[in-house]
Amino acid sequence: MKEISLYEEKDTPIHALDPLTKILYILAAILVPALYGGRTAMAAFIAASIAVLLAGRVLRRTLPILSFSFIVLITVVIIQGLFRAGNTTVAFALGPVVFYREGLSFALGIGLNVVNILLSFSILVLTTRPSDLVEAMVRLGLSPKLGYVLASVFQIIPQMTATMGTITDAQRSRGMETEGSLLVRIKAFLPLIAPVVMNSLITTKERAIALEVRGFDSRREKTFLRERKARGRDKAVNALLAVLIVLALIGRVTIWLT
Amino acid sequence: MAHIAVQHLKYRYPLTDELALRDISFTVGEGEFIGIIGQNGAGKSTLCQALCGIIPSFYKGAYGGKVLIDGEEAAKTPVAELCRKVGIVFQNPFSQVTGSKLTVYEEIAFGLENLGLPREEMVRRIDHALELLDIQALREQNPFDLSGGQMQRMAIAGIIAMEPQVIILDEPTSQLDPQGSEEVFRAVQKLCLQGITILMVEHKMEKIAAYSDRVMLMDKGEIVDFDTPQKIFSLDCLEACGVQPPAFTQICRGLGLRNGDTGLYPVTLEEAHKALDQIKGGAAHG
Repeated sequence: MKEISLYEEKDTPIHALDPLTKILYILAAILVPALYGGRTAMAAFIAASIAVLLAGRVLRRTLPILSFSFIVLITVVIIQGLFRAGNTTVAFALGPVVFYREGLSFALGIGLNVVNILLSFSILVLTTRPSDLVEAMVRLGLSPKLGYVLASVFQIIPQMTATMGTITDAQRSRGMETEGSLLVRIKAFLPLIAPVVMNSLITTKERAIALEVRGFDSRREKTFLRERKARGRDKAVNALLAVLIVLALIGRVTIWLT
Repeated sequence: MAHIAVQHLKYRYPLTDELALRDISFTVGEGEFIGIIGQNGAGKSTLCQALCGIIPSFYKGAYGGKVLIDGEEAAKTPVAELCRKVGIVFQNPFSQVTGSKLTVYEEIAFGLENLGLPREEMVRRIDHALELLDIQALREQNPFDLSGGQMQRMAIAGIIAMEPQVIILDEPTSQLDPQGSEEVFRAVQKLCLQGITILMVEHKMEKIAAYSDRVMLMDKGEIVDFDTPQKIFSLDCLEACGVQPPAFTQICRGLGLRNGDTGLYPVTLEEAHKALDQIKGGAAHG
């Protein structure tokens, strides 16, 4: 089954963690460096995220995500290194192009921040089934209807793509040119729109009725087939993260007071 | 009291001039297996949707008369409440998959979660439904990876697990192979034996003849007749209503072979056999 999520099914302790714990980790990874510790804290969280991703055996999957962000980061390094206001100390020069220490240092800060956030989100996205995440959010009070929309998107979009493939094949078998130059492909795309949209609307209507007769709109309080996974380990990690956030907050307050 | 009572039901779809249902009245008792037959456009699906409240809650349009399910008026009860009493299975198995669940087991639980059942009760009902439809082996599969027949059986399991007193099946086997259809019919018959009322729209007349207690013949939004399969399939107006009687009935009709006691044409292989034996017996006596 093709799914449009980055999740990879594996049996590791990281996969088994409660989705909410992973969300709390993201919060900690963003809040703690922002409140107290700055770059040292960011670097510590980056190291922790890499260790966790390794334990979850999904570190390699972060490479495409990181390499994309590196393109952006390199432009940040160049622009800040060359042109940042307040650039005074020369770091190094490549011919006439002069990089300044202040700008590079600022760019490093941005870089660490971006990598930290990306890696902490990667833990959640790569090791949590989308449906588990949605379910955890519904338990927390997200509307079950919105939860359904979020959870179904992951499967229904690939199904719509498959339908589109079938319709393209049907049109191709009746002589429609679908391959070749850009113009040919654009021309082939137009007659697809009506059947694909109609088909989706009909299926959506039928599905809406089918959901309705299974009590989708029921006013009763929803229950869950799967037991909530919060176990000792989740609680311990949650407590640790909460303590870190609180300590960072205390640190920030002390700085203000002194 | 009748389990299902329909009184003078009339319905017209929005933006149309013709009535899709014209003054329909009938009653069905608890645990009956009702076959609904008729050509396309006869109003069979419309009737099914009116029985479970989709009409008039989902489709607006002009509605008249009453549908009572176990004394409760369908038009005045929200579909999400009425579904505890009446379940419906549609023709297209694909559009009945919720799309939000990753395994067959969770998919069947969808309705039960909405009803707010405790976990142990869900597990009991899902296991029962899986067993009844003989799909235990599929429980961990992704619903979208199933074949049409398997998907349809999963859809039926999802309804059965909600334990309604009435199950309506609107051409559930039209996209299934012969073996898949037979499995669905057997499962439905098992349900019927457990006291659940079944209303099934079908074009496979052999199956309708073999499984139904009574058959409703519909045409142009009206009930032409509602009686035993033998009486319905012996009607002369059958072909005018766009219905081909079962092969056994057609053969016996061609041969002029009637049941000696009732004067009606046989509708199943067993009945045809019996009628033939009666003639042989008669010939031997003569």
